[in-house]
Amino acid sequence: MTIGAGEVRHVAQLAELAIAEADVPALAEQLEGIVAFVGQLSELDISPDELAVNLGPDQVRLRADVVAPIPMTRGPGSFAPLFEEGFFVVPRLGGMAEE
Amino acid sequence: MNAAHLAHQTALRLKESDARGMNATLHWSREVLDREAARIDAAPAGPLTGVAIAIKDNIVTSDMPTTCASKILEGYLSPYEATVITRLRAAGAMIACKANLDEFAMGSSTENSAFGRVQHPLFPDRVPGGSSGGSAALVGAGVVPVALGSETGGSVRQPAAFCGVVGVKPTYGRVSRFGLVAFGSSLDCVSVFGRTVDDAARVLAAIEGLDPLDATTFDRAPMGQVAGRSDLKGVVVGLPKEYFPADLDAGVRAACDRAIARLRELGAEVREVSLPHTRYAVPAYYIVNPAEAAANLARFDGVRYGPRHVGPAGDVRALYQATRGQGFGPEVRRRILIGTFVLSAGYADQYYRRAQAVRRRICNDFDQVFASGVDLLFTPTTPRPAFKAGAKSADPVQMYLEDIFVAPASLAGVPAMSIPIGRDEGLPIGGQLIAPRFAEGPMLAAASAMERMIAAEAEVRA
Repeated sequence: MTIGAGEVRHVAQLAELAIAEADVPALAEQLEGIVAFVGQLSELDISPDELAVNLGPDQVRLRADVVAPIPMTRGPGSFAPLFEEGFFVVPRLGGMAEE
Repeated sequence: MNAAHLAHQTALRLKESDARGMNATLHWSREVLDREAARIDAAPAGPLTGVAIAIKDNIVTSDMPTTCASKILEGYLSPYEATVITRLRAAGAMIACKANLDEFAMGSSTENSAFGRVQHPLFPDRVPGGSSGGSAALVGAGVVPVALGSETGGSVRQPAAFCGVVGVKPTYGRVSRFGLVAFGSSLDCVSVFGRTVDDAARVLAAIEGLDPLDATTFDRAPMGQVAGRSDLKGVVVGLPKEYFPADLDAGVRAACDRAIARLRELGAEVREVSLPHTRYAVPAYYIVNPAEAAANLARFDGVRYGPRHVGPAGDVRALYQATRGQGFGPEVRRRILIGTFVLSAGYADQYYRRAQAVRRRICNDFDQVFASGVDLLFTPTTPRPAFKAGAKSADPVQMYLEDIFVAPASLAGVPAMSIPIGRDEGLPIGGQLIAPRFAEGPMLAAASAMERMIAAEAEVRA
C-alpha cells in the first residue's frame, strides 16, 4: 500500500508526536517500506477463527486485590518536570479560556 | 578479594574502557562503587559475592540514573529499584554501572543511543550488536564478568554472538520484569550475559522466580544450580532447516558445521527438523513489537518524567507533541508511528490481528517439534558476524532482518541462548540453543558441555 504525507501526519497526530515537515517525505518512504515488509503476512491463508480475539486460558491466575504501595525512596517532585502541592502541573487544555 | 578491592579494580577497568572510547557505559561513579563495597562487606556472603555486574540502562536503579539511552529520560533517577537489582544485591553482587543501549532497546547495533554508538570490544569500527550492546561489549572486553541485558526480540543473544560471549534469554515469565522499562510487554525478558555458561547460569539462578510485583512471573520450582554434564548421550538436537538457508554467511555455516560435529561427538542424536513459519517471524515481530511499544511509550509525555518541551500552542497537547517529538530519536519515532498505524481503525485486522495469528502458529511450530521428541534446537544466532558501523543504518528493514534467527524464540516465549562457537577472520560467531518452556536447566547443561569441548580443542590447537 502507498503511504503518503497525509497518512504520516495523521498517524503522528494519533501518536501525539510532533514531526518536522521536512522529515515527512523520508518518513513516508520508510514507513511504506516497513509496511510492505510486514505485509508479507498476507501471503498466509489465515482462517477467521485464527483472527478471532484470543481470550486466553479458561483459568486465568488473578492477583490478590490488595493495594500495596511500592516503597519509594524519593517523591514525584524529584523527577517530575513540574510538581506543586501534590499535583503534576500541566498547561491548560486547548480551547479553554484563561480564568 | 574484599569488596573494596573489587570496587577499585572495577573502577580502573571502567575508566580504561571509557578512555578508549568504547562508550559502553552511561553511568558509573567511584562513589557508587564504594557504597556498594561497604554494603557487601557488611552483609553475609552470597552466591554472587565478589562479582561485579553491569546493568542495561533500561532496568531501574535508585542510586544511578536510568535513561534508556533517550533524551526523554535524561537525568531520570527512579524512586524504586527493579526486582532483579534487589535480588542481585541480596546475592552479594556489586552493581557496577549502567550500560549503553539502543534507545528504549530499539535496535540491533547500539547505534541508536541518544548518547552515541557503542564500539565492538575487539573491532572498534564494527557494532557490538543490540540492543544490549553496552552490556555485551563490557563483558566481551573483560570489564565485568557478567551483565544484565533485556530481550524483546533477540537483544541479548545477537550482541552476545557479535561480542563472543554467552547470552541467555529465559522463558518469558521466569524472571520478573518489575523495574524493566516496558517496551513490548508480551515479549520483554530480563536476560543475562556471561563470559562463560556457568557465570550466566549463576546470575540467572539469583534473579529468577515468582515476584508479586509482576503478574506474568510463574510460581515454579527454582531452576537452581545447573548440573554440569560431560556428554550429551540421550539428548536429541534438532536442526531447523529454515535456519540454514543457502545464502547463510560461509564463516557462520562453517562454525555451525563444526559445532554440530561436536554435538555428535558428545553423543547427541542430531536430526533435521522444520519450523515452517520461521520466515514470517520478523514481519510478525515488527507488527506486534511496535504496537506494544506505541502503547507503552505513551507514558513519556513531559508530565511525569524527564525534560519537557512546551509546544508553540502552549496547551497540553502541544506539550505532549513537542516533548515526544524532541525527546525521542528517529528509530523510536518510527516504531511509534508503525505501532500506531497497525493499531489504527481500518488496519488492526489486516496487520495486528494477523500478526497475532502468525505468532500463534510460530508457537505451535516449536510445540510440535518439541513434542516430537526433540529436546533442544541448534541454529546459528545471527546470519553473519558483527557488521561495520553505519552499514545498515539507512534501511530499517535491513536492520530488522538481523533478527531473523532470534525473533522466533522471543515470539514463542521459549528460552534460548547464544554461545561462542568459533571465529571468522577474528570476528566471533555465536551458535543458538533453543529449548522448551522452562527447560533452561537442560539447555544450559548442554551449552556447558559444548563450551568445555570447544575450550579443550582451543587448548590443543594452542
